[in-house]
Amino acid sequence: MTALKLLWYYLWIAPAVVQLLVVGVMVRRKLYQQFPIFFAYAAFAVCSFAVVFATYVSPLFSGDDYTHAYSIRLAVTTALRFGIIYEIFFHLVRNYPPVSRFARPIFGWTLVALLLAGVVLAAFVPGNAAEHYMYVIRVLDRTASILQCGLLLALFGFSEYLGLSWRNHLFGIALGLGIFASVELAVAAVRAQLGYVKSLDYVSMGTYHICALIWLVYVLKRERVASVAFTTLPAHDTEVWNQELQRLLRQ
Amino acid sequence: MMISVIFVLIAVFALLFFAWAAKWRASSSEVLENPAAHIRSVDIQAFQNLTSPEEEEFLRASLPPVEFHRIHRERQRAAIEYVSCAASNAAVLLRLAQAARQSGDPAAVQAAEKLIANAIRLRVYALQAVAQLYIGMFLPGTRISPMRIADRYEQMTRQVVMLGCLQYPTRRVSTAL
Repeated sequence: MTALKLLWYYLWIAPAVVQLLVVGVMVRRKLYQQFPIFFAYAAFAVCSFAVVFATYVSPLFSGDDYTHAYSIRLAVTTALRFGIIYEIFFHLVRNYPPVSRFARPIFGWTLVALLLAGVVLAAFVPGNAAEHYMYVIRVLDRTASILQCGLLLALFGFSEYLGLSWRNHLFGIALGLGIFASVELAVAAVRAQLGYVKSLDYVSMGTYHICALIWLVYVLKRERVASVAFTTLPAHDTEVWNQELQRLLRQ
Repeated sequence: MMISVIFVLIAVFALLFFAWAAKWRASSSEVLENPAAHIRSVDIQAFQNLTSPEEEEFLRASLPPVEFHRIHRERQRAAIEYVSCAASNAAVLLRLAQAARQSGDPAAVQAAEKLIANAIRLRVYALQAVAQLYIGMFLPGTRISPMRIADRYEQMTRQVVMLGCLQYPTRRVSTAL
């Protein structure tokens, strides 16, 4: 077995092992109650890995079996990733009623706009139509990547601007997913142009491994409790308050 | 080819943005450790003056058109700077209020909630105001409602006072004495 083949197997197996640890930590800390969709995603990733891997290595299964297992896995994980994005959004705005009111329609319209852009762009980007089945899967995958990357960018940008606080676990989940969606988008774009390139699998799998590690690190982290102290300010006009606020904060 | 390149560039930009967000989050605790360093001075009266329609009309009537447009653009730029400062201060206060929300005192939590709501509203208004000011820079006569920004800023600072009083009632008494 060559070093490259070993690396291939490592990048395939290791993320599943890390995801298994993520599932274990989430069960132990009861985080599945807070993030049920992310938990379902991690658990499904582990189970589906076992099935897909078995269809790949076992002589009992044909190449078609592997392709079907892989496609089902891809479809379910893609759908669950959309669910995770909604879960992130829900957790992010639920403590801010004023934001929640206007953020929901914004989120909905962003999704519609990205979906339209994704469908239009998917139709224009070239692809190898010789293998029709894989071609359709890649087009759908590319569209999903555009949507996920766009939604996560919008969520991060929106929360950064408004100064909404991310709890550790939530931030870790979003960061991992964001990095994965970005790299998947780039990989899908290159594949659409050049066709199947084996080395891109390493990029994709390596990124997924890094993201699984990010998720593990963040689910292991404890939520920090920040505290701050205010002191009294005199009740005068705004300018004086502003000066006093600065004086207060310098103390 | 071109669309693929654009996708790759968007992906690279997204990746850099996520990396920046992670870095920014790691350094954001500095705001709580030393908030004073992040607060910028805002003169609300000067801001109101800069966005006053009467002032604009007076300048329009008093100055030749070329001079008026030059001064109008400078005034709009200064107003944008004020709005940016107010929005930046709102972000700092938002962080402080979010930390204060974890206090055990229900009154302090309520005050922190109000401060958070106002700070967020100010950030939203600031976004609208900056866009309107930029439009107004090139289309004199476009009106913005500076009172909303000014009112919200006043409410916000008032709530900081209240939050301070709730967290340190004894010090308030000692200050009064």
